[in-house]
Amino acid sequence: MPIQHAETRRHELRKCRMMMIDGRLTLNQRSVDGGHSARVMCDGYWGFAAAPGEPSARTRDQALANARAMSGFGPRPGVALPGGVYRGGHSIAAAAPLTVAEATERMAALDALCRRIEPALRSVRVVLSDEYHAKHVANEAGADAHSFIHRAVCHLVVVGEGEQGQPVELWEQLSTKGGLAELDLGEAAMRPRVEQLAAHLRAKCRAVPARGGVHTVVMAPVLAGMLAHEAMGHPCEADAVLGGAVTADLLGRRVASDAVTMVDFAHTVLGQEALVPVYADDEGTPARDAVLIERGLLAGYMSDRDTARRLGLQPSGNARAYGPADEPLIRMRNTAILPGTDRLDDMIAGVDDGYLLLKTGNGQADTTTEFMFGITLGYEIRQGRIGRAIRDTTVSGTAIDMLQTVDAVSDEMAWSVAGYCGKKQPMVVSMGGPALRARLHLGGQ
Amino acid sequence: MQPRDMAEQALQWMSVQGFDAAQVDVSRRQVLELNIANNEPSLMRSAEQHQLGLAGLVDGRRAATELTDLREAAVRQAVAELHAQAAMAPRDEAHAVSSGQRARIVKGDVDADEAALGPRLAGLVGELLDFRADETPSVVLQEATASHVRLSRCTLTSQGSDLALESAWHELMVFGSAREGARSSSFNWAGGAAHGIEPGSTMDHFGMADMLRALTRQLQPRGLGSKFVGTVVLTPWAVSSLLDWLLTQLGDTALIGGSSLLAGRVGQGVASPLLGVHSRFDAPGVVPWSADACVARPVQVMSRGQLLTLLPSLYGARRTGHPHCPVAATGWAIDAGETPLAGMTAGVARGALVGRLSMGQPASNGDFSGVIKNSFAIDAGAVGPALSETMISGNIGAMLAEVSAVSRERIDSGAQCLPWLRIDGLHFS
Repeated sequence: MPIQHAETRRHELRKCRMMMIDGRLTLNQRSVDGGHSARVMCDGYWGFAAAPGEPSARTRDQALANARAMSGFGPRPGVALPGGVYRGGHSIAAAAPLTVAEATERMAALDALCRRIEPALRSVRVVLSDEYHAKHVANEAGADAHSFIHRAVCHLVVVGEGEQGQPVELWEQLSTKGGLAELDLGEAAMRPRVEQLAAHLRAKCRAVPARGGVHTVVMAPVLAGMLAHEAMGHPCEADAVLGGAVTADLLGRRVASDAVTMVDFAHTVLGQEALVPVYADDEGTPARDAVLIERGLLAGYMSDRDTARRLGLQPSGNARAYGPADEPLIRMRNTAILPGTDRLDDMIAGVDDGYLLLKTGNGQADTTTEFMFGITLGYEIRQGRIGRAIRDTTVSGTAIDMLQTVDAVSDEMAWSVAGYCGKKQPMVVSMGGPALRARLHLGGQ
Repeated sequence: MQPRDMAEQALQWMSVQGFDAAQVDVSRRQVLELNIANNEPSLMRSAEQHQLGLAGLVDGRRAATELTDLREAAVRQAVAELHAQAAMAPRDEAHAVSSGQRARIVKGDVDADEAALGPRLAGLVGELLDFRADETPSVVLQEATASHVRLSRCTLTSQGSDLALESAWHELMVFGSAREGARSSSFNWAGGAAHGIEPGSTMDHFGMADMLRALTRQLQPRGLGSKFVGTVVLTPWAVSSLLDWLLTQLGDTALIGGSSLLAGRVGQGVASPLLGVHSRFDAPGVVPWSADACVARPVQVMSRGQLLTLLPSLYGARRTGHPHCPVAATGWAIDAGETPLAGMTAGVARGALVGRLSMGQPASNGDFSGVIKNSFAIDAGAVGPALSETMISGNIGAMLAEVSAVSRERIDSGAQCLPWLRIDGLHFS
């Protein structure tokens, strides 16, 4: 039986996670998950096998046996898959890892700083996490790629007390490429952040409900990044396109205003290496940028070899597997809306009655491009001025409608590599964007 | 090496290393999984995973690690590094390991013929594809999986706890949307775990058939058009969001950080008298002991709306003074009610039958707003058209108190067994 594609992957995934609640270290945990896998396409069906330890012929044989077992569903034409081969590797330079003592000291200092700045805090939670992936992917066409992902995150949660004694929570998140030592948690860097967080928390303790309905909003860059990822990123994954996402019929059509250009960057962003640099994906394909929206028009999709063949595209190198026992799926890498030319202050000043949305908890989106984000920090805007804080709320809309209402895009951009994208597997991704002004539906009374 | 032998060996090495107390978990997990992509069988995946978890205390200082390289040199090195990591952590007198816990548990068909598993999964997938083609042809199954999982696990502590599990179960998951021409529904998913799935019964499990049929009625959704205060009938998938919030309120992080709204309310009514919540740690796929190696015995968390216990871990209990209540990572049920499913929407003047709640994490005080997905309008007791871009807002705690009906029927997904709930007083926009 002919084999259309065969690849092997050696994968090591290291994690560290530490949590301090009110000065006490409640979690001090590390893990190392190492293993290998093989994936084979034989007569149009995929077989995958994974096992601990170093690559073995037994695993490849099992993958082939799994593919052959699928032939019971009926014969399929075996069609060669497109895509080049990548040979080489790119490592990520990182400082020596923090010891437990060093990490604990930094967490305790941050806890103390929060309490000095805001003595009335009910609780302070500091979570540090470090995640490192090293992969070696080879395929029968000659790909031989070594790739690395390394990111560190500090999640700071402060809990105050509302006017009725209820807990009111707010958080700040720092993330970086590299390890925990790359995070600047020193007082000089953190004091202004914590002072701002405390000021927001005080405002949120007196927050008013948002008015439900459609409003003009100014979204901070972190929301634009989430919007790019959730609302337009997922529907532009080629498996979603093949599965009936509305984007299937919109290539070349207007889905946003002229001000919006959106790209899933492979490894380099505006001349600098991306936070999640993917030079070759987990099929051994050289990764390239996927331009999803260009000046408001839907311009392309993200694909792996199989979906690229089905859609008649060149694969973009988006096949990524999270853990050693996971098969590659189409996943985003560094997804962003590109900056514009507007100043944030002017964007706020131009709103007569609306909201400034600053922090989001999480987001979800649909293949219809309908999306939702939780808003954990926002303010009213009245006659161009920032007013009262609003309570936690949710914003929603349909991206291909909402993005057409974008009338201002800020000239500053922010990136984050703090979260996970969820599909069948989790995935480390980065997202970025400028501030956007648009019309959005807010939840509320 | 068998899990027990590995665990005993690692525990001995930790003792020699100088740990005052230690916990060792060894697991071996074998998965065979058949995948569907866009209505077609696409991939068969097999994975064998071994994992060793070590947690140790030195002078009241704790560290934990997990590794998959179980060769002696790797484990010995991990033990030495763990000792150094624990020694550098701050002392906390609340740390402890479990003592004297004993269990030997066998669940599911652990002796299943491995050669028969692939054909069995192919049979499940065949039934799923046939159902889609025959009854819901407009649905695109973007992803679906049928899998068999075999888990051997052994947990030992230096204080004499000795827990062993042999377990096997099947899992099914379907995820997709309906599509006709340019019209597309929102996506939805259903799935769960069962010890056995009889041939011919695949679509009877986990509410999958009803979910797929509902997708075909969601192709022409419309907005509600105006704000109002009304009633929701939550499907079990939406009820899951409420249960998650409740369990978070009762767990370590909220109790230790002082943000739990329920910490001081044990023995009090905190929800509608129609609500009861209990464990089901014997469910398929559930490891029936806690992360800190305590047997998770059956627990009734809430009865007739009265909160009966908090759920702190061993550490959480020693830190906060609340009584320890060991629980498994999953395995919860809400008691069935007395209202037939057909009667849940009767009497609702205006509101929605809610498929899923899509929302951010509710605020720590329970306030939330969210988009209701895969949902239908209810008007004068009749279920009407599918809804688009509709949001509700309220407070989760208040929602639990406002439950006015609980269905007789429940969906059993293994880790959760939940009914439909009718709740009044939600703000629609």
